[in-house]
Amino acid sequence: MKHKIGVYICHCGGNISDYVDVKRVAEEMAKIEGVEISVDTIFACADSSQKQIANDIKEKGIDGIVVASCSPKLHYPTFSSVAEHAGLNKYNYVHANIREQCSWAHSDNKPKATEKAIQIVKAAIARVKESEALETIEVDSQKIIAVIGAGVAGMRAADELADLGIKVYLIEREFFVGGRIAQLDYLCSTTETGKELVTRLYEKIMDNPNITLFTGAEVIEKKGSIGNFNLKVKITPRYIKNKCKKDELLKAIEVCPVEVLDEFNFGITKRKAIYKNFPSEYPQIPTIDSKNCTRCGECEKVCSSIDFSQKEEVLDLSVGSILVATGFDPYTPKENEFGWGIDNVVTLPQFRRIINMCDDKLVYNGKKIKHIAYIYCVGSRQVDGENKYCSRYCCTATLYTSILTKNKYKDVQSYHFTRGIRTYGKQEIVYDKSSRQGDIFLQSYEDEPPMIEQKKGKTIVKINDILTNKMELEVEADLVVLVTGIEPRKDTNISEVLKIPKGRDKFYNEIHMKLRPVETVIDGVTIAGACQGPKNIMESMNSALSAAAKSYSIVNKGKLNLPPIIAVVNKETCTWCNKCLDACPYDAISKISENGKDIAFVNESVCKGCGMCLPVCESDSLELLGYTNHEIENMIKALVD
Amino acid sequence: MPENNKTIEYDALIIGGGIAGGEAALNLANVGYKVLIVEKDLSIGGKMILLSKVFPTLDCSACITTPKVSEIMRHPNITVFTSTQASNIIKKDDGTFEATITKQPRYVIAEDCTGCQLCEQACPVSVDDQFQYNLVGRKAAYIPFSIASPRIAAIDIANCTLCGACERACPTKCIDFTQTVETYSLKAKTVIIATGFQLFDPTLIPRYGYGKFKNVITAMQMERQLAPTRPFNTILRPSDGKMPDNIAYILCTGSRDKTVGNPICSQVCCMYSTKQAQLLMGALPMADITLYYLNIRAFGKGFNEFYAQAQAMGVQFTKGKVAKITEKENGNLLLRYEDINGGGVVKETEHDMVVLSVGILPNQGIAELFSNDELVLDPYNYIGQSDFLASPAQTSIKGVFVAGVASGPMDIPDSILSAGSASSDAANYIRHLNKKTVSV
Repeated sequence: MKHKIGVYICHCGGNISDYVDVKRVAEEMAKIEGVEISVDTIFACADSSQKQIANDIKEKGIDGIVVASCSPKLHYPTFSSVAEHAGLNKYNYVHANIREQCSWAHSDNKPKATEKAIQIVKAAIARVKESEALETIEVDSQKIIAVIGAGVAGMRAADELADLGIKVYLIEREFFVGGRIAQLDYLCSTTETGKELVTRLYEKIMDNPNITLFTGAEVIEKKGSIGNFNLKVKITPRYIKNKCKKDELLKAIEVCPVEVLDEFNFGITKRKAIYKNFPSEYPQIPTIDSKNCTRCGECEKVCSSIDFSQKEEVLDLSVGSILVATGFDPYTPKENEFGWGIDNVVTLPQFRRIINMCDDKLVYNGKKIKHIAYIYCVGSRQVDGENKYCSRYCCTATLYTSILTKNKYKDVQSYHFTRGIRTYGKQEIVYDKSSRQGDIFLQSYEDEPPMIEQKKGKTIVKINDILTNKMELEVEADLVVLVTGIEPRKDTNISEVLKIPKGRDKFYNEIHMKLRPVETVIDGVTIAGACQGPKNIMESMNSALSAAAKSYSIVNKGKLNLPPIIAVVNKETCTWCNKCLDACPYDAISKISENGKDIAFVNESVCKGCGMCLPVCESDSLELLGYTNHEIENMIKALVD
Repeated sequence: MPENNKTIEYDALIIGGGIAGGEAALNLANVGYKVLIVEKDLSIGGKMILLSKVFPTLDCSACITTPKVSEIMRHPNITVFTSTQASNIIKKDDGTFEATITKQPRYVIAEDCTGCQLCEQACPVSVDDQFQYNLVGRKAAYIPFSIASPRIAAIDIANCTLCGACERACPTKCIDFTQTVETYSLKAKTVIIATGFQLFDPTLIPRYGYGKFKNVITAMQMERQLAPTRPFNTILRPSDGKMPDNIAYILCTGSRDKTVGNPICSQVCCMYSTKQAQLLMGALPMADITLYYLNIRAFGKGFNEFYAQAQAMGVQFTKGKVAKITEKENGNLLLRYEDINGGGVVKETEHDMVVLSVGILPNQGIAELFSNDELVLDPYNYIGQSDFLASPAQTSIKGVFVAGVASGPMDIPDSILSAGSASSDAANYIRHLNKKTVSV
């Protein structure tokens, strides 16, 4: 029982004090037995106020504190550490939320808001009176990190972590590394190509003995928690021996009779069932696409490296943290969306592949291309569709593509059907360049997108143009390029395994959009690159390195301190009714036998203290430390009195 | 008090204690490195701590910055020097750095000041308050702002009359006019530049009348009026203290404008203006808000949705560049612009207050801090990124990294990511240096 309690009521610079009479709250609290100090403060979180609390603890022998301010989500850690530094166990501090749960919610009724605040703080005092000093739980952490996705973000994060001395499992679902960037040639504002960037990163990860790369690998199960995750990873074989003969493999590709649409070139070309996407691709071993392979055996006849006896494997990996960098999919237009389906309508990613494949003449479907119409925001900023967000990279990517095209094939003319160009920051210069080379810009109204139609074998793009005072303009285009945006990966398997929450835009959600952009609510799981939201390469790299820094700080000490707010079992009364096992969302509960009796056991490094097991317990044998029945009952009593 | 020219040693020197420098410091400190932050201002927290709310979450900026700031101040591995600048940074052959650290006197004994503000009440001198962007005055003896960190007094010696009133008022006798400049010789293994940005000075565009027309203010001045630590507790127009009811924003003031030497986009103004418009709709429910824009750059996570929300709330977005502002006798302002969406004609519209959405510019003089190696800048005077695809924080000097807006315009989450990237690279650099030393 605490009897020298310090109570601090925050004004929050008006956020609370404009609606709640904080002085009165402080006065009322001072009357409660056991309260030593009760004061109001403009900003409890300000340095000077923190100092004051610490001084009170040290000098006045305060044995429990209540801070009534904003949501504990914001400042619980702040005051916990004030308590700790002043020598008070941080679990003898109770937070009362009188902003989100009071002043903001009841700004229309000030007297009642004040009454409510009084009640909230009263209950908090009742709880702190009964609070116990708790010690954090120390668990060992694996000094290994799993990086999921070997695109440029994943590879860069892996390289950084390995350089910091951490063992890394780099897990890639595809058979080749580099993700979406491997599909790009020239990159904006640099002389490096996408392939060169991928090669540079690949060479670094191959050079580092701390990194193990798995290709054709998929995470199918996750157990455990921060510091000690157990992953099951399914490895699909390449059906090609590691030590392979290159000449024979080339022959094998040649003789393969199966032809399928080549996803790497977004379906504009075909590939064999045994394939590599491009000659210098990494790892430098082709693969056999088992879905399309007919097992005709033609390749085996010419190549001794083929090995159909390779079996699917499932690996068990233990890691301390998981860094997710699974990237994005380009938006696929719907049938007839902006003329999709017409043979000279392509997407921007397809067009990038076309430029890559055409040498001195820009030709598509046997036709020379001179007039190019770019239709912006296809699959982004949709008025009717689901994708309300802006895909961020596409304006700059399109303008840059237009500059590339002009440089390579002098006689092209580009028409940009935009919804307002968003070349933010230094990318503005790309906009300027494309304007200077004679590109023509048109802008459609939000609810009147450009129309693409075919007239006598010609493809016409029509627009009501904002920039020329609603004039109806038409462009006859040899090629229409749909500037398709970024979407979250269609394959949601990994997100189901890891249970990372998603936002309304279906990208992974960070803990805090402004200040904690790479951490997730799943402790120990960080997110990097475009799986969190559209990004360009530099932004993805920054997020990859940030995620690496956060994941590193989890595992680097080899030990973790976890909060002691966990469920505990009363061994005497527990009758193992099984109910808690089903209620626990974290697999923290198991059955053990002690003195010939089956009872529940709580794994303290897995338990999150969510309390789900408590109400279902038939014999009332579970308690949550920090929220014991005694504390809660005392709070209720204070409120009823 | 530390004696002059003391040698001090840290793993990392971080120049700038804004949100980027702070985040980088915390990342390094959390994995055990010793960090020195030098901040030229009286408080850390940079620009972010002065903002009202942040887009698109509308979190109270002070409320989310202060926990970070106190974490930085409290961290056992972080030392913060305010009113301090680094100079003469030399890269040694062994890959480490030396620098001169110059700490200006505060004329207040930091350890003894309780922030009681009695000196402030006693001081007879009034000058413009730079932390309130000159909307109100402050004293020559003053606490920088209510959530400053450290929240202790300072004497503005340039404006102080040495009357001694503060000394007499101070209950802990912590005013000390004998303080002098302190210099330190610093040894560090890595340097992170997180020097942030300055705001565009709108007097460079005379046709907007800033400084001449009272009711033309900058967005940062509006930001202060909307902040929880706001000076007036409501929105007022400067000429007569009336609550405005027809406010105009002029976007791209000093951005995307070659005539003022800044051809690039400032990346944040569209969104901060959209945010302010939403906040104003709450603060002044009857007011009309118009944003004059070229393109709305709502590109980040949740931005486009936030822009749509502002439109739905009734914020007027008018596509057109404002050519000129003239002032009427009653203080109202006439805006002349091409109304691109509304017939493409030149129009004049009257507003009772104009907010200039000023762009951001790099802080000057950073390259000059480095003595023997050249710190290369980009064409817009931001710190050049030597490998901006694979290591965006890397500068032209190995071991020197850049975080936040010092490398180019960016918003808060991008600054946090860039700081994370800088700290990651810096940790690696330190680790390799340490390895080398061990092997020798």
